[in-house]
Amino acid sequence: MVSKEVEKYLLRVQKPGRYVGGELNEVIKDKKDVDVRFAFCFPDTYEVGMSHLGMKILYSQFNSVDHIWCERVFAPWVDMEEIMIKNNIPLYALESGDPVSDFDFIGFTLQYELSFTNMLNMLKLSNIPIYSRDRREMKNIVVAGGPNTCNPEPIADFVDIFFIGEGEEVDLEVIELFRQCRDQGKTKDEFLQLAAQIEGVYVPSLYEVEYNEDGTIKSFTPTHNAPAVIHKRIMKNMDESFYPDRFVVPLIEIVHDRAIQEMLRGCIRGCRFCQAGFIYRPVREKSPETIRRQCRELCANTGYDEVSLSSLSSSDYTQIVPLLEQMTDWCREEKVSVSLPSLRVDGFTDDIMNRIKTVRKSGLTFAPEAGSQRMRDVINKNVQHDELMQTCSTAFAGGWTTIKLYFMIGLPTETMDDVKAIADLGQEVVNTYYETPNRAKGKSVRVTLSASSFVPKPFTPFQWEPQDTIPVLHEKQMHLKDNIKTKKISFHYHDADTSFVEAVFARGDRKLCKAMALACERGFHFDGWNDCFDFDAWMALFEECGIDPAFYANRRRSFDEILPWDHIDCGVTKSFLLKECKKAYQNITTPHCRQQCSGCGAAKYGEGVCFEKHQNMV
Amino acid sequence: MKNIRIWFKKDGACRYISHLDLNRVMLRALHKSKIPVWHTEGFNPHPFATFPLPLSLGFRGVNECMDVKLEDEDFSFKEIIDRLNACLPAGIRIFDVTEPLMKAGKVAFASFTMRISCDDVSSSIVTKQLRGLLDSEAITVEKKSKRGLKTVDIKPGIRSAEVREMLDCAVMDITLSAGSSDNVNPNLIITALQEQTGLIYDTDITRNDLYNAELASFR
Repeated sequence: MVSKEVEKYLLRVQKPGRYVGGELNEVIKDKKDVDVRFAFCFPDTYEVGMSHLGMKILYSQFNSVDHIWCERVFAPWVDMEEIMIKNNIPLYALESGDPVSDFDFIGFTLQYELSFTNMLNMLKLSNIPIYSRDRREMKNIVVAGGPNTCNPEPIADFVDIFFIGEGEEVDLEVIELFRQCRDQGKTKDEFLQLAAQIEGVYVPSLYEVEYNEDGTIKSFTPTHNAPAVIHKRIMKNMDESFYPDRFVVPLIEIVHDRAIQEMLRGCIRGCRFCQAGFIYRPVREKSPETIRRQCRELCANTGYDEVSLSSLSSSDYTQIVPLLEQMTDWCREEKVSVSLPSLRVDGFTDDIMNRIKTVRKSGLTFAPEAGSQRMRDVINKNVQHDELMQTCSTAFAGGWTTIKLYFMIGLPTETMDDVKAIADLGQEVVNTYYETPNRAKGKSVRVTLSASSFVPKPFTPFQWEPQDTIPVLHEKQMHLKDNIKTKKISFHYHDADTSFVEAVFARGDRKLCKAMALACERGFHFDGWNDCFDFDAWMALFEECGIDPAFYANRRRSFDEILPWDHIDCGVTKSFLLKECKKAYQNITTPHCRQQCSGCGAAKYGEGVCFEKHQNMV
Repeated sequence: MKNIRIWFKKDGACRYISHLDLNRVMLRALHKSKIPVWHTEGFNPHPFATFPLPLSLGFRGVNECMDVKLEDEDFSFKEIIDRLNACLPAGIRIFDVTEPLMKAGKVAFASFTMRISCDDVSSSIVTKQLRGLLDSEAITVEKKSKRGLKTVDIKPGIRSAEVREMLDCAVMDITLSAGSSDNVNPNLIITALQEQTGLIYDTDITRNDLYNAELASFR
């Protein structure tokens, strides 16, 4: 619902449909019937946030509880933000139109480091103090979840409670505790201390950090009986885990405008640069029956005619081919198409190709991540050169003429030859096209090489690695570009400046909080968007705060250093990550979870692929 | 197979979506409702729907229509109304289904009620400004076309116009040329006014009805 006051300005901004709510399946409750109001904030635009699956799951789940009303809040785009500030309009939730400051909980999902500034900016636009210590009452409890909470330290001073791991259970437990504490007249401090006892809850204000003279961490000490290590929560049984039977269907076009069905969580592969591949372990699958039922419900309740089967790696779903086969009739009768994102190079078989072709032919995207076989072994991508060529050939024979390949540059141990190998690989794909006898006739091939810059992330075997400096990344980008000899290949690369700032936040510690606060004061926002990101302003800000960004981004960390996120347990052990790092230096790959258990530590949850494997061995 | 015309109102939150978005919303509702409408036969079949005259973003519409082809000729019109309303967001309400009496191309005029106000001057001044504008010999504005900006006189496109002064705004009932050849968007009148006075106006525009060349209601 949108207030008269806001309505006055809506025709002056781009895409006013972002700010009005009123979609099919939005949940409207009577304020009088609920006793907990939860503002679910996505720190990016409506179109980005509305595409995010986690928010859809938790929104439906919270609202399935009678006494909770969960509403959605997105970051207003810069034109709307300007109008809101100028006219003293506070940030509001889409369902009720009420200001965010009216809510008991203000929850953020943190999907990428460059959205941290948006989180603070959204608090500011709500007229809520950004520092946790300045919010004294039992309301406006700021909580955060999502993958970035595996290193929450750069925003530790602002958030009251972090949810570590998957939120379906822990979020509701904390909300319930809040109701009890409020009824009993407890203070916010008392509530937070009790919350810290719940598994998967991290209350940063209950920990004290001391630093060495060189800036590294000397000690990290819990107070008030808070646990020394915070263990992540996971959903053990994906078939029994809550999944929405309907999504809010946006009125305007969003980034992923379709039904999304989650097939599995986690990834068996263990690519050494990939944070998601480690923090979501162990792999847990839904049964094909559950997937089919949930797809039917979702499409029936939303009207979507496209459903995307989501996972970190679709072809690693054990029953992918039978599943697609079973869905064929339904797809034809209901005129629904299925899309499979995240296809691995080695998973694109004739079987799968023919299934996804029957419904819609979109462009194909693969991520070999590195050009040379040596480099792919270092990162444990486990994709062979011949497999890639075979896959491209399959796709070309199947009628595709456009292939997009994703790479990273700046990977550990990378040489200029490894960079050049990306261009060579692109050329070979072009050659493969012309060598494929039954390719599409009379058409030219189009290969897109896209190179991002490697950002070392916590909870990966590369968490100790330095990031290449910006000049080195630029040099590598140019070297790659110079080695492309044909117009059939187009080359894109990601801006190294943003990757540098991302690297600072990704492995940052609490000393960065003051830079964050200053960034908020100066109005930094949408740092993930090229039109807003200002590298020079960031560098000036770091300097003013006495922070050397290279300390976080470009320094090789010693294996015995206390890392800022060492008190978080994401399931994989530090000793496993260390072992993987050393294997990377020797170009040795590690088999995936279904080939052989490598003892990462995630077996302790007693579920998923680790368990599946033991059964097979008996 | 029979052609039908589905009549709806577009208001509330749905007032703020573009014609393309409305099209998507309608296709999804048709798909969800399982009403036996004809689907396109391409690689990616979807319900086939056309709109005799798109409505601009921000306008309310009280008599809007969309044409589809019904595969089951005996399918009840009431059922169509009920099913679609159950599948649509609150801002779009279907209120009638008819068999078209006129072809979509016959639309020649559209009538609007425009509520116009300005933070800086009173409604009586806005009323005077509007009347002055309507009385001028020509009303020229820059209009965006595919070949860049061009200056046009929209005066000939005004079929009739009447301005009333209200307590908090000026209300203009206006009938303008509409359709594929000489369409005049009522926002152009506000643009012309803004250029003349240098003020910023708030508008609330409702499209009331469509007409053919003889000014008979489009049905």
